[in-house]
Amino acid sequence: MELLLFILPVFFALSVLVMPQSVVRTYGLVGGLATLALTIVLMANYNPAAGMHSFVSQEWIPAYGITLNFGYDGISLMMLLLTTVLVPLILLSNFGRELSSNRLFTSMVFLMQFGLIGVFISLDGIWFYIFWEITLIPIFLIAYWFGEPERKAALMKFFIYTFFGSLFMLASLIGLKSFAPSFAIEDLKAVTLAPEVAVWLLGGFFLAFAIKVPIFPFHTWQPATYSKAPMAGTMLLSGIMLKMALYGMLRWMLPLFPEALDCVTYPIIVLGTIGVVYGAILAIKQDDMKRLFAFASISHVGLIAAGIMTADKDTLSGSVLQMLNHGLIAVGLFLAADVIERRLGTRSLRELGGIAKQAPKFAFWFAALAFASVSVPFTSGFVGEFLLLKGLFSFDSVIGIVAGSTLILGAVYTFRAYQLSMYGPVKTSAFADLSLSELIVFAVIIIAVVFLGVYPKAVMDFVEPSVTDLLASIKQTPIVP
Amino acid sequence: MSVAQLVPLIILLPLIGALINGTVGKNLPKAVVGAIATGVMALSFGLALMVFSQLDKAVEIDLFTMLDTETFSLHARLLADNLSVWMTLIVTGVGTLIHLFSMGYMKHDAGYYKFFVYLNLFIFAMLILVLGSNYFMLFFGWEGVGICSYLLIGFWYGDFKNTVAARKAFIMNRIGDLGLLIGLFLLLFNFGTLEYSELSAAIIGSKVDLSTVLCGITLCLFIGATGKSAQIPLFTWLPDAMAGPTPVSALIHAATMVTAGIFLVVRSNYMFELAPMTQDIMLYIGLATSIVAAFIAMRQNDIKKVLAYSTVSQLGMLFVALGMGAYTAAMFHVTTHAFFKALLFLGSGSVIHAMSDEQDIRQMGGLRKKIPVTHLTFLIGTLAISGFPLLSGFYSKDEIIAHAFTHGTWLYVALMASAALTAIYMFRLYFVTFHGSFRGTHEQEHHLHEGPASMTLPLIVLAILSVFGGVLNLPGVWLHNMAHWMSHHFEHNVAGLNLIKHTAPEGNMALTLMIAASVMSLAILVVCYLVYGKKNSVPVADAQLKGWEKLSANKLYFDELYNFLFVRPTEWLSEKGSRYFEGMFLHRSVVGVGQLIGKSGDLVRKWQTGRTDSYILWMVLGLIGLVVYFLIYKYY
Repeated sequence: MELLLFILPVFFALSVLVMPQSVVRTYGLVGGLATLALTIVLMANYNPAAGMHSFVSQEWIPAYGITLNFGYDGISLMMLLLTTVLVPLILLSNFGRELSSNRLFTSMVFLMQFGLIGVFISLDGIWFYIFWEITLIPIFLIAYWFGEPERKAALMKFFIYTFFGSLFMLASLIGLKSFAPSFAIEDLKAVTLAPEVAVWLLGGFFLAFAIKVPIFPFHTWQPATYSKAPMAGTMLLSGIMLKMALYGMLRWMLPLFPEALDCVTYPIIVLGTIGVVYGAILAIKQDDMKRLFAFASISHVGLIAAGIMTADKDTLSGSVLQMLNHGLIAVGLFLAADVIERRLGTRSLRELGGIAKQAPKFAFWFAALAFASVSVPFTSGFVGEFLLLKGLFSFDSVIGIVAGSTLILGAVYTFRAYQLSMYGPVKTSAFADLSLSELIVFAVIIIAVVFLGVYPKAVMDFVEPSVTDLLASIKQTPIVP
Repeated sequence: MSVAQLVPLIILLPLIGALINGTVGKNLPKAVVGAIATGVMALSFGLALMVFSQLDKAVEIDLFTMLDTETFSLHARLLADNLSVWMTLIVTGVGTLIHLFSMGYMKHDAGYYKFFVYLNLFIFAMLILVLGSNYFMLFFGWEGVGICSYLLIGFWYGDFKNTVAARKAFIMNRIGDLGLLIGLFLLLFNFGTLEYSELSAAIIGSKVDLSTVLCGITLCLFIGATGKSAQIPLFTWLPDAMAGPTPVSALIHAATMVTAGIFLVVRSNYMFELAPMTQDIMLYIGLATSIVAAFIAMRQNDIKKVLAYSTVSQLGMLFVALGMGAYTAAMFHVTTHAFFKALLFLGSGSVIHAMSDEQDIRQMGGLRKKIPVTHLTFLIGTLAISGFPLLSGFYSKDEIIAHAFTHGTWLYVALMASAALTAIYMFRLYFVTFHGSFRGTHEQEHHLHEGPASMTLPLIVLAILSVFGGVLNLPGVWLHNMAHWMSHHFEHNVAGLNLIKHTAPEGNMALTLMIAASVMSLAILVVCYLVYGKKNSVPVADAQLKGWEKLSANKLYFDELYNFLFVRPTEWLSEKGSRYFEGMFLHRSVVGVGQLIGKSGDLVRKWQTGRTDSYILWMVLGLIGLVVYFLIYKYY
């Protein structure tokens, strides 16, 4: 059953290539829904109290200590859920869009899903690394094949930068393995390192994750890539791919190097907090909507990254909730930018205005997203941000207050973007209101966000026991003086 | 039905109304949309009355648990006690009247159904705010009313100006919200809960000295209150919020939402009692706000702006009351203020409606004969807010001023000055608008008409309440049996600490103070009549004003100051940061690392010349180097 997690995406990635052009889109959607259904079944059969559900665990290449180790817990399941919810939504948002090849596009999305799922269920360092790098190929190709004309420079930067970071992670993994019998996460966790060694090894992981998240100041690839990639690429990147890195921090970085946490926690939290403010301030005066949302994203994920580093139970649970929330909202906001661009050929806020009068449905859903993005009550961000800020505030009250400025600055840039594009006198030619497929995407996102905002317990029940286990393994590790 | 069943219904009804109108309202006739929205409000008010009559002790109603961790839980739980039910009565009662008024006022608006959806949603959020049993629910509603306020201020979004005002309101509120949020965190860390009942038990029963902790907490809560209740320094959003339709100004920006800050402090009164420093800060800020706002109101000529500054000023006075620990007096004034300020705003709406959307009082004049109902009710509102003897505002304001008298003579004088300013600008507003001769265009004069019954009825009801509202808490000077009803009503809410014993003077002293206040308000009425009413003098253009009048007309340049201090630096940072730090420094550094690798390759590549002679040269040089190295190594 669990193996279907690998089989389904690969099957659809390959089979879609031979489908007739006319049914490719529907076929892709069916595939996306099938993996979603699978995730739901797995969730239904999973008992949160049981901890890690490991479904494959055996030796593979003993000479190098590489094992076959796959499994999931509540945190992984939430990431799987996010991935499998977003993939059909991303496919659906492309229904109204002309692509040079729908087959290749759909295939690449499934390949991407394959890699992402792999990342979220790998319990062996080498497999984690392999899946981590696999995701880079389809996202690069999607952006390369279907992106904007002047995409090449941005893509090169993105590819080299993130690949560069990942190599350090590989080096760290191999370094850590030299103290352990195998690459299996349990073996790696059992290693006790001297703090000065642990710091360097952790640094390799951190570099890979910090670039991918991205944490200030490793973010420079992101705004350019987001604005030059096609909408689906941006959605995959911001919605799911960067959650890989946040997940990596949770699953790998914290538990593997508890010896180093004493000296890295503070600097990383400070960087995350700087990112919160920096991203928000730079977002304020952006003219390109996609760039604006890109900087906003830096601000939001900076908060999540900082929250993860507190290694506090409630805060970690909050960060998982906020990952789901950010994934959903990022996809929605980039779709909103795309809806505008597709109809008017521009996303420059200077040239927009008065769309609310022309397209009331779009105005409503975009407004709902804008509110969700500034974490108002009844949206998941409200509870998520509450938990994260509470954690940061108890870690250090000054950091908590500085990070709390996202409450204010977030409202500034989000409503500025909304106001300039939607309100005021009508500035542009006719604007067709939302199509059915777009409407469905918006509605699903908002319904999910509102549900999580009113009843976050649904997610927390999955996440909390797993977070407790995860933290227990950190605390148990004896620290060498 | 029992209280536990009724209270959730009271909250749900407005939500149901919003959902119905939100989904199908677009296709319904306007009368039906308005009837649904107003109907659920009236029903909600009726249920609130039932709860009010049945309530004998505080009732907690569990809905569901939102979040449950080992360290703390967030409950969706309601609390019906005297304080929350009283607020509910105000919100739903005044709310119903304003919904009714809106049916007439918004009749010709294209966004009719949307307006009622937002209005219902606002009531829903406001009820969560007042009826929640913990600070998390309060914060939930607190942010919720902020959204509705944003949507309603920017309701006419075709005019960009309105949306700027909406955004300003939201952002300034958010600044306060951050303070409130931190207050919540501090409560959680120190007491592990956000439930009112558990907190009051923990704090009141505490054996340790909590004054430092509580000082921090109450300051944070007060920062939240300054945002929502428009106090210095976060008050400039409220006058701008008048960009919204007038019923919104009446409901949200006068009668209900802006009193949330007062409610918060009254709810947390035992904490404030243990943090005297915060009380003092609150008193001074309230006093400063009260006088500054009253001063600005002196030379405003937009009918709604005058009322807006008046609201800020009255809220300031309420915080003075809270700073003195006069919680019942504050609740009393909140109640009467809700009556007469809603009345005044709706009256101004009726005027604007009659004047074909004109808001400048210089273009009005002589309206008393054309719109008699509006005129009469507006006059009652003006008299009530100015402390005319025996009207509601007279009693409630007098109670605060009497408390000030016991607190210190200087405070008494300051509050009397603020009250005097209030009377002056209100009578000025009244006389310039309703007396003298008509100064508008012929077209406006031709259109002058009283609104439909849906508009005049709420005016009449509110006028009656404004006259008789004082009965709720008569001073003990006469009618002893009815006196102090409200004080007794809230006794349980504000008696958490035995040390709460702030008394206003009784007997002859009270009588003297009341006579002094009456004489003052009557004297001002006469002077204003002579200056504005009889002489028919019209305020001059702002450009011609000098000295204090110029300062008042320009709102003491607060907006300019904030722009200079906060808005422009942030924008500057954003622009320059994007261009220089992000675009040049960070970008160059990253590219620089790449180029460094490339350059080092270039350097090494130079050696690969492909010429045998150069290779031989390097070999010989290398050999010499080795020989030298070994020689040195061997002999040293």
